[in-house]
Amino acid sequence: MKKLHNFDEVFDGQKVFRKILEAVSNPGRKVSISEQAEKLYGDNRVFLAIAMTLLDNEVSFSVCDNQELAESISLLTLSKEASLENADFVFVENADNLDEVFEKAKCGTLEEPQKSATIVIKADNKCNTAFEIYGAGVDGTLKLEVPDVVEKALELRNRQNYEYPQGVDIISVTSGGELYSIPRLVMRRRA
Amino acid sequence: MSNGRNREYNYAFLDESSKREIRRSVLKAVAIPGYQVPFGSRELPIGRGWGTGGIQLTLSLIGPEDTLKVIDQGSDESVNAVNIKKFVGICTDVETTTDTRKATIIQTRHRIPEIKLRNDQILVLQVPIPEPLRIVEPKEEVTRKMHAEKDYAPIWLQLYESIIKYGKVTIPTEYPCMVEDRYVMSPSPIPKFDNPKLHDADCLYLFGAGREKKIYAIPPHTKVVSLAFEDVPFEKESFKGKKCRICGSTDTYLDEMFDSVTGEKFYQCSDTSYCKEQCKR
Repeated sequence: MKKLHNFDEVFDGQKVFRKILEAVSNPGRKVSISEQAEKLYGDNRVFLAIAMTLLDNEVSFSVCDNQELAESISLLTLSKEASLENADFVFVENADNLDEVFEKAKCGTLEEPQKSATIVIKADNKCNTAFEIYGAGVDGTLKLEVPDVVEKALELRNRQNYEYPQGVDIISVTSGGELYSIPRLVMRRRA
Repeated sequence: MSNGRNREYNYAFLDESSKREIRRSVLKAVAIPGYQVPFGSRELPIGRGWGTGGIQLTLSLIGPEDTLKVIDQGSDESVNAVNIKKFVGICTDVETTTDTRKATIIQTRHRIPEIKLRNDQILVLQVPIPEPLRIVEPKEEVTRKMHAEKDYAPIWLQLYESIIKYGKVTIPTEYPCMVEDRYVMSPSPIPKFDNPKLHDADCLYLFGAGREKKIYAIPPHTKVVSLAFEDVPFEKESFKGKKCRICGSTDTYLDEMFDSVTGEKFYQCSDTSYCKEQCKR
């Protein structure tokens, strides 16, 4: 039998999770999930690799009108599509959607900050902006070069003025599988 | 040493849905250092309170490329450590080691190894009572609200009362600490001696409480300050004038041993791996 996707739920899922964990634990560090994402089919393979690792029928997601992606995620993970206000994971491809995403994404409550969204942004490789990040997970400061879409996402997240521990966590991933994370506690300043 | 995997179990025992839930909780815990993330603790072939939180974390993290070390009270050879190693070995066939430097995942109860851990290592701590406020407030819904409001007056009062009664803070283990100036956290039953190792560490600390169904974390390079007053600073255990009878170390956490026949009292390193390494030098 020829399968459309060859992503192994057990072993590839474990590898992708460890890469994401490394990225979230060490904000700004770039890791690669390309080897595992290659085992999935289609244009959205990096999103699907993350979805297959973290999503199932217990959590919900939003894809900002990319119905092809929504169908693939639902089919592969049994996760349900939800509105931006209720989604646990938000997959963003188009920078134009970011304003609405950050305005509506759930940020948890002071009692239950874990009930907040993780925003996964597909970014290109071209980095136009550089700044320093600091905070939990960063050894002093770290210079990070990011594409416009991530710069915009961080700006929009700042504007929300979340009261920590409320907030949203950002994961940026390129179509080539290069991934890094900027969790809610990490701040930035001009380099 | 690999034990050979029993393929009748799913890889790493837990079903993939359970692993995914634990993994999601781990990521939230790392993003909100010191905050206790609730999770659906699974049944395991071991009683709750015997390290099931740590085991579930280890099983959700582990893969074929990992090398596992398990310690209990610093020892690689105690019953709990050996049985956990065997159990994980049966359902994963990963390499196990007693060498702290070779391990990628270290599951521990009661100690942080003496050797400074690297950034590519994860220390998984088994936690019996994750809630530092439980001693001052029995209700979960109240402690949750206290954390939300950063209302830590009762725990400060407990420390103050201890100083008034005994002239010093008498909490020997589970000494509360403040993480990133936001959450008071119980560092599991590690001795005070190990508390400073949590601050600005290179490695990732994950804490799992299976019975209490909580996961929390300290990512690398996170600010962790043991609670203390300006005029009564935090003090860890002192072993001044004492040394390990096996390797002669004077700067490690020492266990006090007692010879019931001669009545002699002696000391040796709690971290057996470190002690052996020192002896070989």
